Amino acid sequence: MNLGGMLAIWRRDMLVMRRSIISELVAVIAYPLTLYLAFGIGMQGYIGLVEGVPYAIFIAPGLITMTAVNAAYNESVWSLWFHRRVQFTIESYRVTPISVSDIVVAKILSGFTHGLIKGLAVSIVIFMITSFRFPLIHLFQYLLFIIPGSAFFSCAGVICGTVMDKPETIGKVEAVIVMPLIFMSGLFSPLSSYPERVLPLVRLLPTTPLFEGARVALVKGEFLMPGMIQISIYAVLLFITAVFVFKKRMSE
Amino acid sequence: MIKAISTKSLEKRYGNSFTALSDFNLEVEKGSIFALLGPNGAGKTTLIRILTTLMRQSSGEALVEGFDTRFHGREIRSLTGVVPQENSLDRYLTARENLELHGRLHGMPAPVLRAKIDELLELMGLAGRRNDFPDTFSGGMQRRLVIARALLHEPKLLFLDEPTTGLDPQSRRAVWEYIRSIAGSMTIFLTTHYLEEAEHLCDRIAIMDHGRMIAQGTTHELKKPLTGGTTYEVEFESDASAFFDLVKKMNCVKGFSFEGNTALFRLESWECLSELASGLSGAPVRRISLRERTLEDVFIAFTGSGVRE
Repeated sequence: MNLGGMLAIWRRDMLVMRRSIISELVAVIAYPLTLYLAFGIGMQGYIGLVEGVPYAIFIAPGLITMTAVNAAYNESVWSLWFHRRVQFTIESYRVTPISVSDIVVAKILSGFTHGLIKGLAVSIVIFMITSFRFPLIHLFQYLLFIIPGSAFFSCAGVICGTVMDKPETIGKVEAVIVMPLIFMSGLFSPLSSYPERVLPLVRLLPTTPLFEGARVALVKGEFLMPGMIQISIYAVLLFITAVFVFKKRMSE
Repeated sequence: MIKAISTKSLEKRYGNSFTALSDFNLEVEKGSIFALLGPNGAGKTTLIRILTTLMRQSSGEALVEGFDTRFHGREIRSLTGVVPQENSLDRYLTARENLELHGRLHGMPAPVLRAKIDELLELMGLAGRRNDFPDTFSGGMQRRLVIARALLHEPKLLFLDEPTTGLDPQSRRAVWEYIRSIAGSMTIFLTTHYLEEAEHLCDRIAIMDHGRMIAQGTTHELKKPLTGGTTYEVEFESDASAFFDLVKKMNCVKGFSFEGNTALFRLESWECLSELASGLSGAPVRRISLRERTLEDVFIAFTGSGVRE
């Protein structure tokens, strides 16, 4: 592992993000905020309490988590695709002493950082417009879910950005796989609303322990250890897959 | 003595159907400028990708600065600079930041890196544009920046994959001048479609086709097999074909062709020129000139004139 090389690529990605941070944040905040206003504020009078909390508070952690993992996925997938297919900068990295694994780790790290920063931005906006407050300890427990969750989606982005050559395919994957995974994880409704026989399958999804654990940690201050282990295992497995896929593609 | 590049029976196969390199043997002397010529799809880029460790060979051996490409990728990449066919500049970074990133990837210490960047930007005539983004550069300036990037870590061996493709003549000459200026301080391995480029710049030239080495040597050595006969170009004041009857009787003329006012005469040897001149006395001749064999003649002779897909 070449830490200096990885850091150089990560610094490059952070520099580029810093240059366009305002426009990026506006775009990133707009979507979850719209969902929050439409469902959280608009529907809360009709829905009332869900799992003991107002509906607007029930969906807030999920929307923050969704922003973080979406940003992690999008940064990795588009960055990899753009550097590989448009700018050919991956080639220019590969003729330096750093290894293919260093490049993929740096890109996962960049996606992960994007996720954290953008998730934080959405959470600040949601806290500003609502009365949703929580003790600081809840945030640390929440981060224990968001870190492997963002890493998981960043790895997924690296894999998609590595194997997909057409930009429209990337959009299709997001619409057909990523968004359904997020919405099926209990973002807008409690898991108890699923039929009994479907629930075991829903619990196998990588997003379910992530979104459920994140919400419970932030709202109730409870820590769902099995869920955290589950998403961490998924993240590690996907990381190994991402490195393998990227290495294989680069050797072709 | 260790060669800059040495390959033995190098082979690269894609599946069972296509062989990009076959039994490829090559040696490049340290400090020389070496050109590799070949039509599209000949295997030039595959060879460069193997030598720069971007791709693994199927079999055979390739040594770069004494290091085996299969086992010492990191060492080879720290000793080589690569100017790829595509500019591969980061359009979201300024010229200076592009170089900084590359230097960091090579693990260069910051003070050394800063000084080297200033030196190279000055040398390449880009010092005034250091804080501009590559998208705002002309093709020639982008190419110079890519060359600067490849030279940043002071490589021992520089790979230039079609470095002047798409450049205007002025920019092309500027790149040539720079390559000449660094010749000797490092080995330069060049692929090009511009045969005059290879002829002007290179000590030795290799021609490959269908993944195989066809010929190699100096320009003079490569032209030698084609020197049977001498061709003269004669320009008349009027239609050259009018002199067909006159020249067909000359024994020393082994072949001829006419195009407009110009005729090409292939003579048995240069001594026959006086016989040709006497035979044409009285004819309205404006100019007689020797048509030298070019590297293009050599290239076409070895690789054929058919267009490749």
